[in-house]
Amino acid sequence: MEIRMSGVTKTFGEDITALEDVFLSVPKGDFVYLVGPTGSGKTTLLRILNRELLPTRGQVLVGEYNLRKLRRTKVCQYRRAIGMVFQDYRLLEERTALENVAFVLEAVGAPRREALDRAGEVLDCVGMWRRRFLYPRELSGGEQQRVSIARAIANDPRLLLCDEPTGNLDPQTAGEIMQVLLSINASGTTLIMATHNRYLVDAYRQRVVELKMGRIVRDQERGRYDIDEEL
Amino acid sequence: MRSFSFAFRDTVRLIRRSPGISGLTFLTVLVVFFFVGCSFLLALNTRHVISVVEGELVVQAYLQPKADLDGLAKKVEKMPHVRGVRPISPEQALELLKARLGNQSAAVTLLGENPLPASLEVRVDKASSVSGIARELVSMPEVEDVVYAGKVAEKLARLSRFAEIFSLFLLVFAGLAGALVLYNTIRVAIYSRKQEIEVMLLVGAMPGFVALPFVLLGLFWGLTGTLAASAVLGLLYKSFVNSVQNTLPFIQLVDNPQLYLKLALVLIGGGISLSWLCSWIAVERHISEAMKPS
Repeated sequence: MEIRMSGVTKTFGEDITALEDVFLSVPKGDFVYLVGPTGSGKTTLLRILNRELLPTRGQVLVGEYNLRKLRRTKVCQYRRAIGMVFQDYRLLEERTALENVAFVLEAVGAPRREALDRAGEVLDCVGMWRRRFLYPRELSGGEQQRVSIARAIANDPRLLLCDEPTGNLDPQTAGEIMQVLLSINASGTTLIMATHNRYLVDAYRQRVVELKMGRIVRDQERGRYDIDEEL
Repeated sequence: MRSFSFAFRDTVRLIRRSPGISGLTFLTVLVVFFFVGCSFLLALNTRHVISVVEGELVVQAYLQPKADLDGLAKKVEKMPHVRGVRPISPEQALELLKARLGNQSAAVTLLGENPLPASLEVRVDKASSVSGIARELVSMPEVEDVVYAGKVAEKLARLSRFAEIFSLFLLVFAGLAGALVLYNTIRVAIYSRKQEIEVMLLVGAMPGFVALPFVLLGLFWGLTGTLAASAVLGLLYKSFVNSVQNTLPFIQLVDNPQLYLKLALVLIGGGISLSWLCSWIAVERHISEAMKPS
């Protein structure tokens, strides 16, 4: 899915500007890291793309969807086409890991058996198959994160938004998750990942968009976490 | 169909996962509909007692000496608001007088020829019809005089009107109060699932898909609560009627097996409809809030 943001500003109340005049174009199949200090607007940008927030000004086009003009039924349709990994996981507390993933598939009309099989497959991809019958409260933060990733990719989304997907993972597991994300991206899914993980950004070089105080201050192909000294 | 089977499974899960909330909501529905049923029975019995008293009201029409008693009786019977007509010939009137006098009935023989006129005993459907019927009877050439308890009929008519308004008010009030309590209970129960609703919507579930388990949950509470309320009400009312019949036999309460069935059907039907409506409104509000981008 192609993303085009033009002149996007998001303010909260009168004096908090989370994003200011953001112009961003992401071609279909691209992998973009969103980096920047806490409060720079990364999560706001992702939430706008997930249509949890509406921009105060500006246009956001994702594929064939104009996010400002989406009606209620179209919002559901749009969210089914994308996947989102939340910073705070947002798993359903009263469902097992397997049910959390299968639910998304059932919501789009997949038969129960099929949904459970597919949920098992994606949980296996993120290394959670053995813990599929556990509830979120019985899982560690990193494990919940992995279930959240499995849920986001279960539907084969055309756009995957990840808000700190490796934030609670040890370096080795973070590396494994990165491999999963890269393989999803390799299959043609556009991927936007907000992260503070310097090691991952430097190890798996992709396009880097840096935000500071709501503004894009750097947009670099195959960039590092910090600005290259050579530039 | 798949959505429905998912919703059904999810409803069972919701009930099993929160027995506390389910139990409380069930109890609330039971209590609310028990009181709605009590109000219904109170209104029904008030009207029943008044209609029994109204049924005792008669208009006595005394006829001219040569009037055709049976012909006039048939004519009066066809008048609106007339519930029944009893023709009384002069001979029957004399017998009635004798019966009323008891030991002193021999005094009647002193009258010589029977001086009593033929008359019609007209029963009306309600107290407010008495004066109208009396006026119509007086205007008939065959009728010589009309006797009826005008003041009593007027008071009874006023009481009957009051009872009608009172029962309607009682039912509307009980219904509204019940709906309000039920709506708030279901809203609180659904509120505890607010986060779940939000997450479901965030991952692309359709509003109808998200709402269905909660609506089914509301229907379940409505059905079980009203079933229990009907059973409790039926048992308590039956024993109340029995004890009234034993201690105060002159008070006639409504006691009819068909009434219990009808009341149960009204309560269950009302409970299901109300629960469905309340849960649908409550979950729809949460969905609208969750789907509204800030």
